[in-house]
Amino acid sequence: MSGPAGPGAAGELVVRVDRARCVGTGLCAGAAPGDFQLDADGKSRPRRDTTVPSDGLSDAAEFCPVEAITVVDAATGRRVAPLD
Amino acid sequence: MSVTPGQAVPGQPLVPLHCLRFAEPGPPRQAALPNGTPVWLVSRHRDARQVLTDPAFGRALLYAPDAPPLTSTPNLLDDPDSLLNQDGPDHQRLRRTVQRAFTPRAVARWRPWVASVVEQLVDDLVKSGPPADVVAGFSTPLPVAVISRLMALDGLDQDRMRHWSNLALSDSSHTPEEVAAALREFGAFAAQLIAERRREPGEDLVSSLLAAAEAEGSIPERQLVSLVCGLVVGGHETTMTSLGNALVYLLSEAPESWVRLGTDEEAAGAAVEQLLRAIPLGEPKELPGTVRRASVEVEVGGVTIPAGAVVAVQSQIANRDPEVYAEGQFGDLFAPLAAPSLTFGAGPHHCLGAWLARMEMQLALHRLADRLPGLRLAEPVADIDWRLGSITRSPQRLTVVW
Ligand code: HEM
Ligand code: HEM
Ligand code: SF4
Repeated sequence: MSGPAGPGAAGELVVRVDRARCVGTGLCAGAAPGDFQLDADGKSRPRRDTTVPSDGLSDAAEFCPVEAITVVDAATGRRVAPLD
Repeated sequence: MSVTPGQAVPGQPLVPLHCLRFAEPGPPRQAALPNGTPVWLVSRHRDARQVLTDPAFGRALLYAPDAPPLTSTPNLLDDPDSLLNQDGPDHQRLRRTVQRAFTPRAVARWRPWVASVVEQLVDDLVKSGPPADVVAGFSTPLPVAVISRLMALDGLDQDRMRHWSNLALSDSSHTPEEVAAALREFGAFAAQLIAERRREPGEDLVSSLLAAAEAEGSIPERQLVSLVCGLVVGGHETTMTSLGNALVYLLSEAPESWVRLGTDEEAAGAAVEQLLRAIPLGEPKELPGTVRRASVEVEVGGVTIPAGAVVAVQSQIANRDPEVYAEGQFGDLFAPLAAPSLTFGAGPHHCLGAWLARMEMQLALHRLADRLPGLRLAEPVADIDWRLGSITRSPQRLTVVW
């Protein structure tokens, strides 16, 4: 990981997965293996409390077929992906 | 002689799909395919979901050199180059070329256009009758028009598309030679389409998937050809089938629900989920369900499935599992589902076109019922002429009056 540590630090992101929606495609873990993992029940969960921007992470949020993923700015709470 | 639930009784009229009865879900059990290949049947919702999502179960392994034969007439779903038959990173690489076009947000952008196609078809249907054939005039042309527009298939007429699709999804009623010939023709069409869009890219799905594949760099050409064929077939066959069979159910058994579909668009969306859960697309024939093969020994629902075993997920049974759906096959048609049904699968192969199919069905049922709240079948259900010879079954014709 790069950048300053600690919640709310500049550029830090929080990843959320709506596990009620997730259908376990694993597309997110494939696009951003550092940010998502599939549990034993086949549903995705974020791997860490905060993360940093990457193409893989934007792709994951963009590709999720059921829109179960949101990525928000840790400092402002503003959604950064998926974008409309 | 006993009749397997869910299969036709020779000499008797075929029952509508919503009338098929299936065994109760239970733990995984061993059975044999018609060709003798041993198979594990998985029927509980929880177990079905596990098999579809666990990477220990794959599709590509079904076509490994040591794999047992599955069907006597291989069809498009058996093409080792198809999206459905890739696993792991190979699968993701190919799926990413098309995923962006099918997210709920991407599909929502097509909504006004799909609604206008639906309106046009309803207008034409109303002008042509009563009576009118709602299959030829509505449930077939809608998904055909949608996928043709998405892929810009200007040169492909509906009859040719339907012919290829029927053989591409053929059950054992066509010879392997007939199926192979149709698949060759279909493949040649797709290869030519790809060449054209490489020369002259447009705004369509084929152009965008080629651009994504180009950026990716290492996707074999055969997989792109197979993907284009899969999109043409997958893009209309299943939606046409679901819509046709939903109409049979609604018009023969649920006239009050039909009226409500027309007055409430949101309720129509909930009803589509219930209809897709409750009404299967076909009856189990050569394969008892959607198949996978275990790469290692895995425990499913308390039963040990050995490495190399073929497993069939019986989604139709899991979709009625009382542990998940207390109401059984049908309850309140407008209630939200207790859990996502398995109609669109789960896991890495979860249907690419699920949101498109949902939107088409919601708009179709809502707008048709809105315009024709008194729509009803002109003939008894027992007289329905069924489209046979493919793994899906739906009415060939459905004469309606209003
Ligand atoms: C009511 C309509 C539909 C139903 C019931 C349906 C059902 C399914 C199911 C069950 C699967 C998963 C197969 C498996 O796990 O073995 C699937 C996959 C797929 N569907 Fe659909 N589908 C429908 C409509 C569509 C549409 C409209 C499209 C395309 C535009 C489409 C394209 C695909 C593709 C490409 C796959 C393969 C995905 C992969 O392997 O990654 N489907 N569909
Ligand atoms: C790459 C493309 C496709 C994918 C991913 C796909 C996926 C699926 C899936 C997942 C199922 C459910 C299996 C089951 O419940 O037994 C399914 C069923 C079916 N698919 Fe496809 N399909 C694809 C293409 C097609 C095509 C091209 C056709 C045919 C024209 C087709 C026809 C059917 C039919 C008829 C069923 C029947 C199911 C039943 O017994 O309920 N699919 N498909
Ligand atoms: S992409 Fe979406 S549906 Fe698929 S595993 Fe990730 S969160 Fe779940």
